[in-house]
Amino acid sequence: MRINRLKLTNFRNHKETEVHFAPHLNLITGANGSGKTNLIDAIHYLCMSRSFVATSDRYVANHDEKYFMVDGDFTGEIRSSFKVSCSYSRGEGKKIFVNDSPLERLSDLIGMVPIVVLSPEDLALTSEGPSERRSFLDSMISQISPKYLRDLIDYRRIRKQRNKLLQEFRGPLQTLRSYLEPWDLQLVETGARLIHKRAEVLERFKTYLALQYRTISGLDLKPSLVYQTITDATDSIDKISERYNEELDKNFEKEVDREQTIIGPHRDEVVFYLGDMELRNYGSQGQHRLFSMALKMAQLFYYSDELDDLPIMLLDDVFGNLDQQKTDIITETLTKHTGQTFITSASERPFTISQFDGNSSNSWFDVHNGTVTNKY
Amino acid sequence: MQITSEALERAIEELAKLPGTGRKSAQRIAIHLLKQSDERVINLADALVHLKKSVQRCSTCGTITDSDPCTICSNAKRDNGVVCVVEEFQDVYIIEKTNEFRGRYHVLGGVISPLENIGPDDVRIKELLERIGGDEEHITEIILALNPDAEGEATSYYINKLLLNYEVNVTRIAYGIPMGTELEFIDEATLSRAFASRTSF
Ligand SMILES: [Zn+2]
Repeated sequence: MRINRLKLTNFRNHKETEVHFAPHLNLITGANGSGKTNLIDAIHYLCMSRSFVATSDRYVANHDEKYFMVDGDFTGEIRSSFKVSCSYSRGEGKKIFVNDSPLERLSDLIGMVPIVVLSPEDLALTSEGPSERRSFLDSMISQISPKYLRDLIDYRRIRKQRNKLLQEFRGPLQTLRSYLEPWDLQLVETGARLIHKRAEVLERFKTYLALQYRTISGLDLKPSLVYQTITDATDSIDKISERYNEELDKNFEKEVDREQTIIGPHRDEVVFYLGDMELRNYGSQGQHRLFSMALKMAQLFYYSDELDDLPIMLLDDVFGNLDQQKTDIITETLTKHTGQTFITSASERPFTISQFDGNSSNSWFDVHNGTVTNKY
Repeated sequence: MQITSEALERAIEELAKLPGTGRKSAQRIAIHLLKQSDERVINLADALVHLKKSVQRCSTCGTITDSDPCTICSNAKRDNGVVCVVEEFQDVYIIEKTNEFRGRYHVLGGVISPLENIGPDDVRIKELLERIGGDEEHITEIILALNPDAEGEATSYYINKLLLNYEVNVTRIAYGIPMGTELEFIDEATLSRAFASRTSF
């Protein structure tokens, strides 16, 4: 999948920008604050209906402006061309249109254009708490499985309903149990499917991870991951459901006491190892950086094998923190991705004009104060 | 801007509160009404007042009606053994339009949702049990026709559990694929549900 044209209106520091991209490599250079990250963030917006930088939509609009708009033309390897536009205004919120017809649910957008982002913030993936890894996992699977995304949304809603009961119910525990039961049934049904899918994806994903880590680090330290959930992750859905029910039953009083749902995939953890060492607690800054890069590169190549349409790869400001050797390895690895790639960088290193000049597959843009110039 | 008619302004404001009506269409409707004969406008106003004053809930099924019991509950030709449970009265309208269902209804008036402070006692479940246990009707089958979202499902589960204590057959409408929709346009989640609830040929 690739984006041929992108148009921004009031998107951060871009008042009005229209860019035509190259089908393979797009290099975007510019000083810090020039608006180069905003350009690829807009692409992310069209694929995932949200920014990978800002936490809230209202921070995305150009200051003083009450609305912003992004639209782009996409072409797939399999799917024919289509147009996605996303508008946001303070009064009406966010709206997404595909070929000019509105999407009923924002979540329907996810997966249409698979996308992978590698940015300096990825360090948090391996060094911070389990919720970072759960959201990485959820985002990775949601893009390849609409059913997983639907289950995820349903699961959150069911858990909220259940939590509200646990917080506010006053009366005999037996009545609480009968009130919880219809939610428990659904919690187990959707939750078991989430666990099963996570286990299935991680099982396949770990081969990609091992390969990418070894390539990037150049070391023989074997990376691995362990998926920790309420049961043995290799169980069948029925078996997971059975264990889930047992756990819910066993922890009923604890849940009443804590007034929240404490059993389920929202408490899952993925533990990363390098050899025998648990990465999160014992890894060095450098090991975290390489590992999180390997995770994203693994996601890229996992998608490429899994999906009919190749994913779009975004690399935001990644080379600034890397030495020449690692930079070379990353750019070398990226040549194996035949889909579209976007790289933002403050310096021109490690690229050369000859990669872009006279090459219709690659383009080089320079961004200055929200104005984009196509250099080559 | 200077307003020359407070009355027009008030009508526009009220109309703009209606669903699907923005200020622009409210303005258009108000101006249109101004151009109509007195009689037509008074007729409309009267219908609106009448709507609110004479419409009540049927004491048996809970749907909206002008007279209690409603025309469905008092229709002797309808099967009093089968009751279709729906969330709101508009669902009765929708099912009636199909002309397929010849039984009676039970309108819950909502679904269980702790987040909105709606518990089993806040919807008409107790009334349903009274109908099933009572002598006036001879209910043998309950069809659950609630929305397939989390709240609708929870309510269906809850009712089904209670009905285990009664001599009734409980069924639910199947999850399906909208007619006239081609398979490739159906989202994967709907399709997999339709597969799970497939019926024999
Ligand atoms: Zn009635």
